[in-house]
Amino acid sequence: MKRLLPLVLLSILPILAQAPATPPEALQCEALRHKGDPNARACYQRLIRSSDPAVMAEGFWGTGDFRSANDAFRALVKLRDKDPAPRVRWGRMYLEHWQASEASGLFGEAVKLKEDYAPALLGLALVSGEQFEGGAIKNAEKALKADPKLYEAYEVIARVHLEDANRPKASEAAHKALEIYPEALDAMALLGTMDLLDDKTDSPWMTKVMQINPHYGEAHAIAAHFFIINRRYDEGIAQYRKALELDPSLNGARSDMGVNLMRLGLEDEARKQLETAYNAGYQNPETVNSLRLLDSYKNYDTFRTPTTILRLNKKESALLRPYFQAEFDRALATYEKKYHYKLKQPVQIEVYPDHEDFAVRTLGMPGLGALGVTFGYVVAMDSPSARKPGQWHWASTMWHELSHVYALEMTNFRVPRWFTEGLAVYEETAAAPDWGDRLDPGAINALKEKKLLPIADLDRGFMHPTYGDQVIVSYFQGGKICSYIAEKWGYDKLIAMLHDFGNKMDTPQVIQEELGMKPEEFDKLFMAWLEPQTKKTVENYDEWRKRVRIVSGFVKEKNWDAAIHEGEAIRDMYTEYVEMGSVYQFLAQSWIAKGDKARATAELERYSKIGGRDPQTLKQLAELLQEQGRKKESAAVLERLNLIYLEDDQAHSRLGALSMDLGNAKIAAREYQAVLNLKPVDPAAAHMGLATAYKAQNRLNDAREEVISALEAAPGYKPAQKLLLELSGKE
Amino acid sequence: MAAAQKVGCDLKRLSYVALLLMAASALRAETYYFTIAGLGGEQEYEQRFTGWASDLEKIFKSEPASQVTTLSGAQATRANIQAKLSDLAKQTKAEDHLVLLLIGHGSFDESDYKFNIPGPDLTASELASLLDKIPAQQAIFDMTSASGGAIATLQKPKRILITATKAGTEKNATVFARYFIEGLRDPAADADKNEIITALEAFRYAEGKTAKFYEEAKRLSTEHALLEDAGKGEGVKAPTVENGEGLLAGRFALLHTGSAVAMAKDPEKQKLLKQKEDIEEKIDELKYRKASLPVADYRQQLTKLLVDLAQTQEALDK
Repeated sequence: MKRLLPLVLLSILPILAQAPATPPEALQCEALRHKGDPNARACYQRLIRSSDPAVMAEGFWGTGDFRSANDAFRALVKLRDKDPAPRVRWGRMYLEHWQASEASGLFGEAVKLKEDYAPALLGLALVSGEQFEGGAIKNAEKALKADPKLYEAYEVIARVHLEDANRPKASEAAHKALEIYPEALDAMALLGTMDLLDDKTDSPWMTKVMQINPHYGEAHAIAAHFFIINRRYDEGIAQYRKALELDPSLNGARSDMGVNLMRLGLEDEARKQLETAYNAGYQNPETVNSLRLLDSYKNYDTFRTPTTILRLNKKESALLRPYFQAEFDRALATYEKKYHYKLKQPVQIEVYPDHEDFAVRTLGMPGLGALGVTFGYVVAMDSPSARKPGQWHWASTMWHELSHVYALEMTNFRVPRWFTEGLAVYEETAAAPDWGDRLDPGAINALKEKKLLPIADLDRGFMHPTYGDQVIVSYFQGGKICSYIAEKWGYDKLIAMLHDFGNKMDTPQVIQEELGMKPEEFDKLFMAWLEPQTKKTVENYDEWRKRVRIVSGFVKEKNWDAAIHEGEAIRDMYTEYVEMGSVYQFLAQSWIAKGDKARATAELERYSKIGGRDPQTLKQLAELLQEQGRKKESAAVLERLNLIYLEDDQAHSRLGALSMDLGNAKIAAREYQAVLNLKPVDPAAAHMGLATAYKAQNRLNDAREEVISALEAAPGYKPAQKLLLELSGKE
Repeated sequence: MAAAQKVGCDLKRLSYVALLLMAASALRAETYYFTIAGLGGEQEYEQRFTGWASDLEKIFKSEPASQVTTLSGAQATRANIQAKLSDLAKQTKAEDHLVLLLIGHGSFDESDYKFNIPGPDLTASELASLLDKIPAQQAIFDMTSASGGAIATLQKPKRILITATKAGTEKNATVFARYFIEGLRDPAADADKNEIITALEAFRYAEGKTAKFYEEAKRLSTEHALLEDAGKGEGVKAPTVENGEGLLAGRFALLHTGSAVAMAKDPEKQKLLKQKEDIEEKIDELKYRKASLPVADYRQQLTKLLVDLAQTQEALDK
């Protein structure tokens, strides 16, 4: 929805370059609006009185009466059911009214009625563009084939290229739009945006826009959109302010500004702007959900240190805080040293137990299906409780996002998407080898089908993916590129590249400057480095897929010998697969059934080392290790589980007991406290565990309080009674 | 609130007396465990239900003074169930305990609940009629799908009724039984650490674990277990003194996990046991007055009583 505003602007058609779908009566009003003439509204009001439903619908739409316009369009489409034009206009209205899917349906129906109907194809391009889908340019080109004078299609192409940071192509398309129609305001705004993104304080293109329409605030809203998607939030907000100065009725821009103020943690002004937009009738999902999210902040606790601000939901803050704060501090200390950079203000991390709340934070951002998102000094992420246990690694996500904070700050937000993501993925693995991304089926297919993008175009994989897994594959590729650079030229080269990006150099320039070669040459070297590492898995993947099902079948039939034989034969074909139904898990299950716990343990250790995250499997490994007297390793597995999933009271309890055995009472206390925070069915045992841990730390008063709490829950609890007598005797 | 607390306090006291009586009369009183695993329909369910029934049989056989009967697979017919329940009607006395456990699929047709078994199903009405003839104190664990549909028919004063679902419309296969069994093996289920898992503790354990199962799987919960032991109402998820549910279940010993019974048989220990009971009553009373006391006062009084209790227990254990 973030992209709606610039797209809506494209609907302002001048008479000279009219779209054939617009009724002629409405074109005069559009011309007035194009010039920013205040008489435009009166013009649209006159259209309402027309007896032609097509004209009437335009009148309602032009005056902002969407409901009546919708009724009129519905009647019109019934009346002219073989005519694609009313459907296109209706679709354009839906697009303006935040309903892209309805718009898409209508454009699709129009195309069915007339395959080469340019306005409908343009509509499809607009929808794809708004949703950051790869089909935008394709549809725009189809539209141009049907109508080479459709300048709006060039504007769409220009915008998509600019989003991909492809300035030459964006500029070329914008100029083509202007060749067709010299007053194409959005084409000018896009050219002006390029100037502003280059840190020019003003642009002749923006001046030209103002000469045509002095109230065309949308031009600055377009610029704001590009600053935002380049994560230059402060500058984006400044552009929204300019847009609103020129046209205070631009409630879409006002709402977007509110959303981005929220992203920077400026919640009071965010609320003010969002409420103003909402009260003016701009009640799109972004506005409504953002206001709801602001309301929900009363349910959050905020913890501050000189360098960190941690915002946690009250229902889980006690549980999460010790773990999150520890990783937060550790990551900042590590990065400060690695990047040789001290942040200028505290970093804020917001942790959302409801994924939908987190999703509100990422609305309108391209390529962010993600687990976390960074807005400068503010990081928003899912809580471990927001997803299925084991589905993700929260600590790894936190470190990933905090790497972005540094990369964005050190480059003044000039770092390209591929590099900041690649560096963040690299940092995950650097923090711990089992944290980072593994070679997943999407990446295997991309390698097999040679779909990795050239480094100079890698941003496209994030911004406008052309196949399902491309965003994920691009993360993988970015991470591997950074690993390659660190391995071949040293880690400091990555830091030097960051500084170059901060000095406004683009990817080809940075590659040349730091690595002394052209991007094409780098691509060749990179692939020559990557392919040998992945060759075995890529070549064997199809066979592995078939045979892993056979292993699964053997396990189901309890044919353990066959499962072991087949499992061991295929395990090393694809060593990195540790998702559900991994060979390691099948082998472990089979060995346990055969009574060989040592071999089962060995398989699960491999699973964990590679990065397996299933809590039940990790708990099983911890138990096996403990049974074999390997308490330290068992505790390490449970510590690893803590960075993945924190809601398992049994795991905390086990780690508490192990830590006591290992003489680490401080960790034991943390773990028993976690059990209590999870409101267990057996609070007495947890209080007792905590009492024992406190006693070991010589915190006798605390120990006594806890043992009393244990006995309050279970007065007949004998071990607690003994400890109480012992502690009472010491007083 | 004050009245409710008073009632709760009295009932709590009663529960201890009841437990001790039960323990003291252990030689005479019997606990009858009757588990029925119904039709699975599919092999996976057949195996699961039979496996659960077998697990329960093993657990209950370890209980002293118990008689354990299990019907599963082809054995779980209406005729066999009727025969067993008729036998129990003749065999049991009022001080005996009957624990009836239904595992499998159930259905509800808007008027009656049916337990799916080989041959004709058993309706809740038929089951109620058979159970009404049995004099023993009863705890019925209907852990099937749609079991909530049986509450209105099976509920009766002095009968504990636990269902895996809150209504007959919750028709999906349930996991409640899995966690119920887990609770009988997990010392954590004995929340008050008195070495007895009561029907209430077993319910709370299984209910909590079932809810967590759905929460963690990010699945809409298709089962909501209820407990009803007041003989009226719809059953509750969280039994409390305030809602009047759980009082009977709180004193119904489902499983002994330690030496409580043996201790009660030793006449030498009777005096100390009485002393222990008095202190426990005082602790109960104090806990019920907690909200009306300053925190420091409450804590001070509680500590003193707990130290007294611990010393008494130490003497008992010598």
